[in-house]
Amino acid sequence: MRFVPLAAAGLLALSLTACTAGKEAPPPLGAQPGPTANGTGPAADALPPATLELWHGFSTDVETKAFEEAVAGFTKKFPQIKVTMKKGVQDDRITQAIRGGKAPDVAASFTTDNVAQWCKSGAFQNLTPVIEQDGIDLGVLPAASRAYTEFEGKRCMMPLLADAYGLYYNKALMKGAQPPKTLSELTELTKKLTVRDADGNIEVAGFIPSFQYYENSPSHLGPMVGAKWYNDDGTSAIGSDPAWKQLLRWQKELVDWYGYDKLEKFRKGLGDEWGAEHPFFEGKVAMILDGEWRNAMIANDPDAKDMDYGTAPLPVADDKPDLYGSGFTAGTVIGVPRGAAHPQHAWELVKHLTTDTGSLVTLSNALRNVPTTRAAMEHPDLARDDDFATFLGIFTHPKTSTLPANVNSVFNQDAFSTFLTQWEKGAVKDLDAGLAGVDKRIDDKLKLSGG
Amino acid sequence: MMASTRTAPPRRRRGGAPSPAAPSPHRRRGEGARALLWLSPWIIGVAVFFVYPLLSTVYFSFHRYDLFTLEFVGLDNYRYAFSDARVLQSALNTLWLVVFMVPAQVLFALGVAQLLAKLKRGGGILRTIFYLPSLVPVVAGTVAFVYLLNPATGPVNQVLAWFGITGPDWFGSAAWAKPSLTLLALWGAGNTIMIFLAALLDVPRHLYEAAAIDGAGAWRQFRSITLPMISPVLMFSAVTGVIYAVQYFTQAMIASRVASGATDSAGSTFTPGYPDGSLLTLPQHLFHTGFRDWSMGLACVHALLLFAVAMLFTLILLRRFGKAEVAS
Amino acid sequence: MRLRRRLMWIARHALAIALALMFLGPIVLVALTALMTDEQALTSTLWPERWNWSNFADVFTHSELLTWTVNTFVYASLATLFMLVSSIPAAYALARFRFRGRKTAFLVVISTMMLPPQVVAVPIYLVWARLDLTDSLWPLILPMLFGDAFSIFLLRQFLITIPREYTEAATVDGCSDVQILFRVILPMARPAVAAVALFSFFYCWNDYYGPLLYAGVDQEGWTLSLGLATFKAFHSVQWNLTMAATLLVTAPVIIVFLFAQRVFIEGVTLTGVKG
Repeated sequence: MRFVPLAAAGLLALSLTACTAGKEAPPPLGAQPGPTANGTGPAADALPPATLELWHGFSTDVETKAFEEAVAGFTKKFPQIKVTMKKGVQDDRITQAIRGGKAPDVAASFTTDNVAQWCKSGAFQNLTPVIEQDGIDLGVLPAASRAYTEFEGKRCMMPLLADAYGLYYNKALMKGAQPPKTLSELTELTKKLTVRDADGNIEVAGFIPSFQYYENSPSHLGPMVGAKWYNDDGTSAIGSDPAWKQLLRWQKELVDWYGYDKLEKFRKGLGDEWGAEHPFFEGKVAMILDGEWRNAMIANDPDAKDMDYGTAPLPVADDKPDLYGSGFTAGTVIGVPRGAAHPQHAWELVKHLTTDTGSLVTLSNALRNVPTTRAAMEHPDLARDDDFATFLGIFTHPKTSTLPANVNSVFNQDAFSTFLTQWEKGAVKDLDAGLAGVDKRIDDKLKLSGG
Repeated sequence: MMASTRTAPPRRRRGGAPSPAAPSPHRRRGEGARALLWLSPWIIGVAVFFVYPLLSTVYFSFHRYDLFTLEFVGLDNYRYAFSDARVLQSALNTLWLVVFMVPAQVLFALGVAQLLAKLKRGGGILRTIFYLPSLVPVVAGTVAFVYLLNPATGPVNQVLAWFGITGPDWFGSAAWAKPSLTLLALWGAGNTIMIFLAALLDVPRHLYEAAAIDGAGAWRQFRSITLPMISPVLMFSAVTGVIYAVQYFTQAMIASRVASGATDSAGSTFTPGYPDGSLLTLPQHLFHTGFRDWSMGLACVHALLLFAVAMLFTLILLRRFGKAEVAS
Repeated sequence: MRLRRRLMWIARHALAIALALMFLGPIVLVALTALMTDEQALTSTLWPERWNWSNFADVFTHSELLTWTVNTFVYASLATLFMLVSSIPAAYALARFRFRGRKTAFLVVISTMMLPPQVVAVPIYLVWARLDLTDSLWPLILPMLFGDAFSIFLLRQFLITIPREYTEAATVDGCSDVQILFRVILPMARPAVAAVALFSFFYCWNDYYGPLLYAGVDQEGWTLSLGLATFKAFHSVQWNLTMAATLLVTAPVIIVFLFAQRVFIEGVTLTGVKG
């Protein structure tokens, strides 16, 4: 086979396709002086007409409508700009589109998992130049929200509403008990509230300890014991931080009390997390860990809205009572991808959505998410019923933490979760060795990604 | 008709001159040029979609590449891939499919075809029934199986319970997930069944009659008449089965996704392989590494590994194919 | 002896009917679930308490099922058409002409046929991205203009069984290669062409990997496989609607099959015998 000429042709083609996929992008943000001095007033007319493409993750009708209204507030301010929206877009799709050269003008994500990777690779444009140009004081953002929107000094995202995680409890199923404050209280209460049938099958669970259950990810549960993900150099701290072992041992004991098989069978018969048959709505579980947005979902569900429920911070490790009141927080992030057709317009939209107090308050009230600027949080129009105030409290608690940014965040969480599935099943004989294996996977991957 | 089923002559001489067994007295000059003309689109296709990407894959395998920046890293990707437990796991899963699922499907289809061939009445309707599931779109069939086999709400375990059997966790247990997919493969074996049935009906009846007079039992008849007569068809099914198993992607991906309850709503991520990586096949691992994790260089190492596996099976099958032909 | 035969007959039929029930079982159970309420679909009861025919209508309001069907149909049809246009000539050349490298060429056909599409995915994706054609199904359709290894293989296997006398007679009559292909070869190869077309169409119809890689964010550009795969999760809908969608997606294929059963079975059988 004489492939030499073909090989030559191949290498030629290769030199053409390597480096960057996609077409030439317009100048990045900050390369030219900003057309607006402060984003409002007559200077807004300085931007030429354009149509922006905005991708976001909201998918239910209520959420989509609320978000569209927030964007309408922007187009009212900039009548020459039109915004077309795509809903329910996942991070995978956003990354693929940007890397494939098909980026929208603005993209929002529900998770902070990819922020490090996006900032580091330049998939999203650095916003610092325009933030400085427009004289925005980032001090208006809470520290946690500032932290999860930047990586290694590159700010490529802005926070757009935040999520805080706490405990929801069904008052009818609690039989008068108060929400637990420590892990041992949670265990005790779970045992008391769980109902089984004659065959030992679970009918109502007090609390589902499985790491595979909806929001029970290690990132959400870790703050209950103050567990640490990374060392300062970005290597994994999972194996070396005793807090994880404390959490895992507590969790395994509860799983074993249910019986792993019984618990799995129960878990697999539950309705969808985002559907009307959610087990909490159906009264199949007394206590759940969930985000503040569950309040809105309960209120919007025709059957669940009359449920008598309460919210509280998550219970914490018995030996760390000072953690009580804190929890996990993360949030929706929004930015301007590399390759955006109208980066300057896009920035105006991002700026409006993330810093305009009126817009944030309206959106927060509609979605029941935590607003991300101090002004919006203190605004009198912000609805503050008790169940929601719990989450405002968690969000502002000094011990509240987020998952530290890491370029392999998704991979690392998956590596840990994979191990946890083995663990709760009882397939792990040596916990230390198992966690060391997780550390190794994370560290090897870190090395491969270049640091 | 059977004589024409050769794919690779047992021995080929260099230069590709016409073999003496098949002289072509009418061979004329210029056939080469004409053949080249007719083949040119395909040759371009091979260059663009086979040779170039393969070379390019080798090139990228020595780099760190995320579609933005390209950086030479030497053997790092190889070192990582060969110490990555998931690579080994996915390769073993792919091997499992080749070694268990493909033979199971071929044997099952042969059994059903034998049964159908012997039925005189009702054969037509049964044939349609056995063929129908293979028309169900693959994704639809897989989603349906995951639902039907759900241990808590699925009807299958419910039916088993009537007989006092406690059904397994099917797609939820690492031990049962691949067998569950095998069940799905058996259910969709209609094509193979039809192919075998046609081959079985092609075997001349008088051969069996003669054997029966000689006192040969059913098993002897099968061994010495049926099997040799249908061996090319068996071979074809084995080859296509192996090709299919090596690139097995859709069913495993969908089954993992649906069984794990992974939502596709924004904010959630999905890593193939649930449960416990038991359904992670090489093509899925490659896809995930390259197009979800954007470690293109590492994905290229996976690709080369997959290529090696595919070529290994190709060579094994072609050799066996050659021998079978010598025998017949 | 007679009794034994009788028993064998009964055993055989019993086994066949049992197997047939197992083959039909999943379809029936899916149909029953498709008619349940979403609450009941989460229980292990088998029979719908209330026949919810509106589930089928709900599928359409919850998803772009029609758009996906159209996209899938366009993708499968164009790919199949292109495949025929490019593969028939290649198979014809491999089967008819004697030339240096003929065997090598055939070996290349077999090798490319064995190659999992994922092996070359990364570089090919880059090319399509460079050409600005990702976010569409074109990267799956256009390559079909350059021949499909499996189709070439099957067609070639069939074409070499056509006795050379036919083409030689036509050559004597002064027919060109093109005329021979259209007047002599194709009419005789009609079943083989139908078989590869059917095969190609179904491959595309079922293809999930290709659209997953290329179809992009916009649901309006998705195929049935892609849409159905994310159907349950994406729309927060329950199993009953998912099963209804499954049935709706399957139904047209089965209807086409029932009308053209002979073509299907012949085509499938042919691939086996000619392979």
